[in-house]
Parts: sequence; C-alpha cells; structure tokens
Amino acid sequence: MVSKRFIAKRLLLLVPVLFGVSTFVFAILHLSGGDPARIIAGQRASEEVVRQVRQDLGLNDPILVQYGRFLVDVVQFDFGNSYQVSKGNPVRQVLIARLPVTIELALYGQFIGLALGLPLGILSAIKQDSLLDHTTRIGALAGISVPIYWSGPLLILFFSGYLGIFPAAGRIGSTIFLDNSWTLLGMELPLTGMVTIDTLLLGRPVAWLSAVSHLFLPAITIGVYSMALVSRMMRSSMLEVIRQDYMRTARAKGQGAKITVMKHGFRNAMIPVITVVGIQFGTLLGGAVLTETVFGIGGIGTLIVSAINATDYPVVQGAVLTFALLFTLVNLGVDITYSYLDPRIQQ
Amino acid sequence: MDAEATVGERVRAYAWPRAKLVGGAVAVGAVVGAALLAALVVAGGWAVVGAAQFAFALGTLAFGLGLLGWSGSAMAGRGFENMQEHLDTNTDWTEADSRRAMARVGGFGGGAMLATGVVEFVALGV
Amino acid sequence: MSTETTDVGAEREERGRLQRILSSPFLSDLLSNRLALIGIGIILSMLLIAVYARVFYDLGALESSRLGGSFPDRAAPGWAGGPAAANELLFGTDQAARDIFRRTMYGAWIALKFGTITVGISTVLGVTLGILAAYYGDVTDNVIMRTMDVLLAFPSLLLALALVAIFGAGLWKAVIALTLVYTPRFARVVRGAALKVLEDEYIDATEALGAKDPRILFRHIMPNTLAPITVQSTLNFGLAIIDIAALSFLGFGAPPGSPSWGKMLANGVEFGLQSGRWWMSFFPGLFLALTVLGFNLLGDGMRDALDPRMQDAVD
Repeated sequence: MVSKRFIAKRLLLLVPVLFGVSTFVFAILHLSGGDPARIIAGQRASEEVVRQVRQDLGLNDPILVQYGRFLVDVVQFDFGNSYQVSKGNPVRQVLIARLPVTIELALYGQFIGLALGLPLGILSAIKQDSLLDHTTRIGALAGISVPIYWSGPLLILFFSGYLGIFPAAGRIGSTIFLDNSWTLLGMELPLTGMVTIDTLLLGRPVAWLSAVSHLFLPAITIGVYSMALVSRMMRSSMLEVIRQDYMRTARAKGQGAKITVMKHGFRNAMIPVITVVGIQFGTLLGGAVLTETVFGIGGIGTLIVSAINATDYPVVQGAVLTFALLFTLVNLGVDITYSYLDPRIQQ
Repeated sequence: MDAEATVGERVRAYAWPRAKLVGGAVAVGAVVGAALLAALVVAGGWAVVGAAQFAFALGTLAFGLGLLGWSGSAMAGRGFENMQEHLDTNTDWTEADSRRAMARVGGFGGGAMLATGVVEFVALGV
Repeated sequence: MSTETTDVGAEREERGRLQRILSSPFLSDLLSNRLALIGIGIILSMLLIAVYARVFYDLGALESSRLGGSFPDRAAPGWAGGPAAANELLFGTDQAARDIFRRTMYGAWIALKFGTITVGISTVLGVTLGILAAYYGDVTDNVIMRTMDVLLAFPSLLLALALVAIFGAGLWKAVIALTLVYTPRFARVVRGAALKVLEDEYIDATEALGAKDPRILFRHIMPNTLAPITVQSTLNFGLAIIDIAALSFLGFGAPPGSPSWGKMLANGVEFGLQSGRWWMSFFPGLFLALTVLGFNLLGDGMRDALDPRMQDAVD
C-alpha cells in the first residue's frame, strides 16, 4: 500500500533535518559567549590550564575547521564527554541510557491523548451544541489552560499523597532490580530500557505492575494536555466532513447509510488530525521536560534542564539533537500513516 | 525524438531556477557577511579572527535555520497546512513557498559562512 | 484647504468607526457569549488583585525568609487544620515561613506584568513585520514570512529553552526568548489581515492620490487589522503567562525568592510534594490556571465572534 520509494524519500529527509539542527546548535554554542575551556577547567583554574584545555579542544583552529569537525562528530553521534552533569562520561552513553525513559513517557502520553481525544472530538462534532459538546469544548480549553507543572503536582498530591494508590516519583519500585539482559531461545538479548516492556520480557509480573503504576500519573499528566488539542482538532475536522454534501445526502437517506458514511467520514476526518499529531509531538516533548521534572524521572528532559543550568554544552547539543531525531522519526511515522489513509499523497 | 530532446531540457528546467535562487542567495550572503566583517573590524575595532568567528556563527544560524526550515517544510508541510486550517485564523502558508524561501535563507547563511570562513582562514594563516 | 477637508473627513471617519465598533455584531456576539463574559470577569478580577498587591504589599518582605518570625514554616492554612498561629494565613506558609496568600496575590502582578511586556513587544514586532511583508510583497514577503513560519514550527517551550541557553537565565531574558517565540504568530495574522485590506480598492485610490507609504500603512492598514490582532494577543496572553511561569518553574526565569507563580510551584514540588503539603502547589497553580483560562475563554469567544465560518457552523 505504501511504496518503498516513498518511505526512502522520507527517510532521506532525515539528513538535512539533522544537518540543519546540528548547524543551528553549532551557532548557538558559538553565540552563547560562554568559554567551554573555562567551564571544563573550572572557575579556579589558572589561565595556563585554560589555554591548554582550549588547545586540546581545538578551539584555536579556524572556525571552518571547527565546524567541519563538529559535523563529523555529529554524524557519529559523538559529542565528546560531559563537562558537568555526568562528568567525564561520553555524552552518547548518557543519552542512550536516558532516551528510552523519555520515549516511554511520550508514547504512553500520546496514546492516552489519542484514546481520549479522538472519541471526545467525534462525539462533540456529531452532537454539536449539545451539553456534551459544550462540556468537551470547555474541558479542552481547561486542558490547555492548566499547566503540566500544576496538574502533575495535583495528581501526585491526590492519588499518591491522599489516596496512596500510586507512587509519587521514579519509574519502578526502589526494591526491584532488573537484570541487564534477557534470553530468548537461549540467546542473550539486550533490554529496551523501557521498564514497562523490560519487566514483561523478563517475565516478572510484579515488577511490571510496579512499573505501570509508576508511569500512570506522568502519562496521564502529559496525555490530558495532548488530549485537549486532539479533541479540538478532531471536532473541527469532523464538522467539516459532516457538512459536506455526501454526508448530507446520506443523512437524508436514512440510518443505515448514515453509519456507512460515518465510517467513511471518520477516515477522511482523521487525515488532518494525524498530521497535526505529528507536529504536536514537539509540544509533547516540551511537556515531557516539565513532566519529568515534576515526577523526578531521569529522561532527556531533566537532562536538558540540568545541562543548561550547568552550561554543559556537549550534553545540551546531544540532547537537542536527540529531540530533533525523535521528532523527525515520529513525523516519518505520521507520513506513512497519512499516505495509507490518503494514497494520492504518494505522488 | 521528442523524448530525447526533453531529457536535457527537463533537467535544465528543473535545475536552473533552483540553482539561480540558491546561487543568488549565496552571493548576497557572501557580500553581506564580508560587509559585516569589515564593519566589525573597521568601525567596531574587533580583531579580524574574532570578528570572522562571530560573523561565521551568525551565518551558521541562517544556514541552519534555512536547512531546518527547508527539510521541515518538506517533512511536516501538510501538518502545518491542516493545523492552520483547523485551529488558526487566516493563513496562506504553502509548503512550496516555504521551501523556496528557506532555500534563500539557507543560501544566504551559507554564503556568509563561506566568505567569513575564508577570511578567517587567511587571517590565521598569515 | 484640501488638507483641511481630508482632516475633517478623517475625523468623521474616526467617529464613524467608533460607532461601528460599538454597534458591530462582533461586540454584541462577544457580550452574548457567556463564556467570554466569564473570561472577562476572571481577567478583571486578576487585574484588581494584581494592582492591589502591587500597591499594598512590600515585595522585599514577600521575598525574604520569615523563618524565626511569628509563623511556623510549611504550615497548613488555619481553616484546614493548620496550627493556631496560622489562623490568619488563608493559604498557609511555604518552606521559608512566607505567607503564601500574599505571595500568590503578588504573583498576579508579576504574571500580568511580564505577560503584557512579552505580548506587547511581540505584537509591535509582529505587526511591523507582517505589514511590511504584506505591503511590499514578493521577496520581502517571502523571506520575512517563511522565516517566521520556521520559528513558528518550533515547539515554544523547547525554543525558549534553547534561547535561554544562549542568553542565560532571568525573567527579562525569558521575556526576550519568548518574544522571539511569539512574534511570528502576530506577523502571520497581521499579514493575512493586511493583505485583505490591500485587496480592497480604496487603497489603490489612496495610492493614486499620492499618499506616501507610511500613511497608507498606518492610516488604513493598521486600524483594519486591529480585530485579528486583539484576538491573537488575547489567546497568546494566556500562553505567554504559562510559558514564563514554565521557565521560572524550571529555574530559568524568576530568581529563587521571587513570588512568581512558576517559582512558587517549583517550591511546592521540591518541598511539599512528597510530604503532602498540598497548599504550597495548589494555590499559586489555581491562580495561574484561572488567569490563563480567563484569557483563553475571552480569546476563543472573540475568535468565534469574528470568524464567519464558526457562525455558519451553527445550523
């Protein structure tokens, strides 16, 4: 259904996107005015030491050379070592350890947003101007008015502090330790790093329950925010489809036809919604930064915040590029879904 | 006969306007980059190397933005069109326009990078 | 003499415009929209609170630690089982024994002040860029608008974070970063509206009569773009307040002791979350969310009143 050529073309777009992002990051680093050599050497280091560090980092080379070297490093996903946040460790290692955490959070959040937002938007459109419609619209408006860094704490205070049914922070119970690998048919395979999946792979249901209950509140927090946009978009798109001629005709013809056309209408209404979900994923990642901070989850979001605070440039670079990569891949997925729904687009 | 004649023509019709657009922007960028550099050194009293590095960084900003904008438009263009149609007030954003403008911005940045980078290279070498 | 007539004419036109605005379906639509009225009510209340706090509360006292003073720290509100000493404290105290009620009130001032500045600057920048793009068209238009579009495509919080990485932390720097984030939205809306005005014939007529560029821009285009600009400002006001508070929450905006809602929420998360001290997060967040909701309700109502499509939708 979806041609390989189309997918290949979309994949090829990854190159200029990442090239652009890394150039952007390079510009930011060189305009920010901080002296990396001074940061690495430390505030109390002598001028001598700083000069040596600068030489070692290649900061005295022509800027064209620095730019070229930077690009070569980026291609290899090599950002050097962290200055501060995870001092001395390669940034790549830090990123790989934290990436699954953010992906897991974002995926569940997006799933909840879609699972709640789509039906609400459709109902709201079909029963336009009913009580349900008004409630949904106000709810959506309230959803985007309530910042994550308030809804998150409220959920924790109520469900964790008051009711005591969900844990307040972290990803899994502190007494649970997971192995580093799992075996399938005698083969030792690496784990995904996503606790809700790893616990299943390892066949440990109790640990899985713990992981799910830890993830529940953060995913709801981020999902409700995403739901608000999805339902607004779905409502608007569905209304447009309903108002088209063939839908009116079908309604006139009676109930049976109506249901068939509703199905068809749903498919058509989904097309714009799907594309917007892709773009909105960027906002979701922004939301992940806040959610991770509220719930004390050590993903890329909290990493970026502490790296900016500590002016740890290699980590900032790596994290920004990782976000860009994630965003691009999600939009690739969106494109494929889109071309499945609307085959004309593959031209 | 017709088909053979058109292959070259088609390539040309495809490549020439694009090359002209980007090339023009590169030229403008190179001139502006050099002018900024000269202004920084002469009027601002900056050292040549420092000024070139600063101007180069500004160039990378435009280049990066252009590149990102170009590929972003290609990648998420339909999404933006849809989003604006359904959630915004009036717009007339189109993917093609955006890509053309981004090629300009990117070309401009690339030109500035080229000019200032070469100047710095020479200045360091001397 | 000819200038005199045009001045009189302009004055009459001015008065006519005011009347038109007052009797326009836009305003009556807006005022018959209950949600929009609630929005207006919320905004006016917040404004009152903000001004009251600004005039009667001493910022220095709100910022400094009251540890060792008359109140215990982290005390629940008196009405919610707090210690007797906290009876007069409606919202309890924070980790430095500061009165959360007064700090929350003052937070309204900070939020509205920096929100106004952010939205104000981006409006001015956006209007200028948008009108220039619409009026000169062609390459100017293309380059201005598409650059705006690319900036628009960045998730606002992530772009603001990247800019904070360049500029450093602080409320004013956060404002600069967010101004860059918001300017494109205004430029886009204004350009669209300006183009519509330019399509109308009377601009051609004015141009034929020899009016200079700036005159056309400010006399004819500006007033006619006011409505969409107002809608956009209102909608973005809420977003700006959320984003400024988010930067403060993450530690890149307001300084530590500041009674800004974002910083207070950060305190609530750091010092009150694990121990169930709900009042530290609840009250500043409630005011923040209410304010944003007020602007969103009003903005949505305005957009519905303006957008003919929305009225068609009501069968």
